Amino acid sequence: MASKNTARKTLKLAPVLDLNEATALHEKLLALRGGAVAIDASAVERVGALCIQVLMAAARSWEEDHSSFTFAKVSDAFVKTTQLIGVDFAPLMAKEI
Amino acid sequence: MDMNEIKEIFFQECEEQLAELESGLLKLNDGDRDPETVNAVFRAVHSIKGGAGAFGLDDLVSFAHVFETTLDCVRSNRLEPNQDVLKVMLRSADVLADLTNAARDGGSVDEGRSRQLIKELEALANGELPQAAAEPAPKKAAAAPAPAPAPAATEEGFQPVAFSFDEFETSEEPTIEPSTYEIAFRPKSDLYAKGNDATLLLRDLSRLGEMSIHCNTDDLPPLDRMNPEAAYFAWKVSLKTDKGEDAIRSVFEFAEWDCELEVTLAGGDAGDAREELPMQPVPFDLSMLDEEPAAQAGADEEEDQAVARQREVRDAAVSAAETASNVVRMAQAATQAPGDGGRSASTSAAAQASASQQAASAATPTIRVDLDRVDRLINLVGELVINQAMLSQSVIENDTNGTSSINMGLEELQQLTREIQDSVMAIRAQPVKPVFQRMSRIVREIADMTGKSVRLVTEGENTEVDKTVIDKLAEPLTHMIRNAVDHGLETPEKRVAAGKNPEGTVRLTAKHRSGRIVIELADDGAGINREKVRQKAIDNDLIAADANLSDEEIDNLIFHAGFSTADKISDISGRGVGMDVVKRSIQALGGRINISSKPGHGSVFTMSLPLTLAVLDGMVVTVANQTLVVPLTAIVETLQPEASAIHSFGASQRLISIRNSFCPLVDVGRILNFRASQANPVDGVALLVESEGGGQRALMVDAIQGQRQVVIKSLEANYTHVPGIAAATILGDGRVALILDVDAIVAASRGQSLKPEMSLAAAG
Repeated sequence: MASKNTARKTLKLAPVLDLNEATALHEKLLALRGGAVAIDASAVERVGALCIQVLMAAARSWEEDHSSFTFAKVSDAFVKTTQLIGVDFAPLMAKEI
Repeated sequence: MDMNEIKEIFFQECEEQLAELESGLLKLNDGDRDPETVNAVFRAVHSIKGGAGAFGLDDLVSFAHVFETTLDCVRSNRLEPNQDVLKVMLRSADVLADLTNAARDGGSVDEGRSRQLIKELEALANGELPQAAAEPAPKKAAAAPAPAPAPAATEEGFQPVAFSFDEFETSEEPTIEPSTYEIAFRPKSDLYAKGNDATLLLRDLSRLGEMSIHCNTDDLPPLDRMNPEAAYFAWKVSLKTDKGEDAIRSVFEFAEWDCELEVTLAGGDAGDAREELPMQPVPFDLSMLDEEPAAQAGADEEEDQAVARQREVRDAAVSAAETASNVVRMAQAATQAPGDGGRSASTSAAAQASASQQAASAATPTIRVDLDRVDRLINLVGELVINQAMLSQSVIENDTNGTSSINMGLEELQQLTREIQDSVMAIRAQPVKPVFQRMSRIVREIADMTGKSVRLVTEGENTEVDKTVIDKLAEPLTHMIRNAVDHGLETPEKRVAAGKNPEGTVRLTAKHRSGRIVIELADDGAGINREKVRQKAIDNDLIAADANLSDEEIDNLIFHAGFSTADKISDISGRGVGMDVVKRSIQALGGRINISSKPGHGSVFTMSLPLTLAVLDGMVVTVANQTLVVPLTAIVETLQPEASAIHSFGASQRLISIRNSFCPLVDVGRILNFRASQANPVDGVALLVESEGGGQRALMVDAIQGQRQVVIKSLEANYTHVPGIAAATILGDGRVALILDVDAIVAASRGQSLKPEMSLAAAG
């Protein structure tokens, strides 16, 4: 998985991103490290603070790598939750939306 | 353990918490302002609420919730616990106890009363003082400090009872000016581990008003070094709300100990050190987030259903987790065994917290043991004592050499068995405190009903006495306390007129005195109105109009059946079943009751009771070749009658003259049908006994063998009830000796024979 791949990979997020999903999401993102990633959050119905933490950490790591990390599609629930808790993913979304 | 067992443990714990609650409130009432006392009171109510929630006892939960809210105001120094406030709280504690009992036994509760109290509690929480009394309530604290370091008792992470916002609206003052609060919120990893989520808390917070937020992400490590289940985010929230600080704290109620929380009023001088943070407004309609699973669903109705479903699922999950954590907690409390229920992160965290709580309360370790087991042990020790006595007796009979090593060994054995007996009795011994505490409630209620102001002072609450005695003590004590407040104490106006403190004092004291427990009930009222008592006794044909009675004799008249000096029959006392019933119950316990009264200074009732009902000091007597035991407590004196002192009276009655008074002579052998004809009193011994109603009788027996401590064996349990016989015992020579029921014998003496129905009538 570490092989450099210029093709953008898409990670589709599960509908419920709660405590149980945080570890799984973390592992998935670690596996994608090194290449551009587009997050598909269109199916997200509920997202907890833990998963947002993971996504935020990922966004920063990708930025360090000078790789692209974007939110290709987002659900309303996802956007509202991030706004509610004051996390600003908007710059990452703006590129694609 | 099944659910019922857990529930039973919960109720047992409730009892302890209620006792804790009451004693804490009474301490506060006495002027104790130790924050730990307030915390203990708060913890007690909170624990009851938490447990009740797990079992779905909604009435209990909702009352406890309001009570807790008010107590929280006291805890955070927003409500001064003065006498008026504590009056409401003590009454609330009573209602809480009633609700607990109703939940356990299925009884009903006076709903009007609990509703009324809920109103009063809410008024207190809103800063209104009861009965428009005294100085205005301190304004809601502007800059309250961070919550007190978590009282560990309240470790239950969350509540199955989804608190409705309506409840807050009723319990919070609706007219608070909108103010802006700064909220610093930093969750700990535990918060997530327990299934809670910062997003949910922030969502609830945003509902309170206009909110803007800053998320501090500085602590977030790089992806490869982060723990996805740890808490890194922290928030600063600025919230403009008219609901007040309480509502804000309520949002975090069940997460309080899993996060750092600071709520301050914006614009205060506390804000000077605060750096300007880029705040993001949270302006949007949050309804969307309630409908999480249905976000994409089209039709509104479907959405609503989904919301309901989702809520149900979440509530169920939360209540399941709560129950699981309770299982662990209760299992620990009950058996000290590790919980074998859920071992999820949340339950183990709860268990840890609970362990630390137990350590914090640092009580002497105790175990719960079935009363049956203790009784069996006591029984066995009784057998051992008897066996040892029998062994000694046969050694004495067979071995004339008094210095043999066997005799020395026997003596040691005797000492040991006596020690074992004492220690076993100590297991059953319990402090009288719970009974005394119940009395404080009775005093409060009677004081309320009669409009008198009464203070109950208890002393020696830790005096220990056998559990059976304690259980049977409550009823007579209740009667006496009611009498003391209703009849004994004067109204506040009369007290002031008499130059006394308008608040009456009732003093309840327990102490050990020569192997018995002495309980004293003293009031500082007007004392017994002897003129009135005397007149009443004459009216009721209890005494002759010209009878010459000493003060003491007049005082003792109140123990006569059917005697009441109350002018009007009230709810409280005056039904005429007062003091005679008390005297009979005390006597049934092998006790005595005395009264002394000083006009204008009050009355003192003194009860002396045996420490245990398992052993008894008795006089061993012979009647018609049978060995009987007469309880020593009943015997006033013994005497050898002379022929000149015996007088015939009527057909078969005989009287004995003792120091210029006549006393009916009761032939025990005849009454028990041991012999067909009456024995000659001169050949025997008369035991002067005190019977119910205060009268004395002389019991005729053939001879006195001696006086010794005997182990009581129930006849009812082993054989059947025998009229005139209270119980049996086994003597050193192995023979069974019957223990006389003195009152039944005296009651039967009027008919000269003892029939079962007569003894029942006497017992009833």
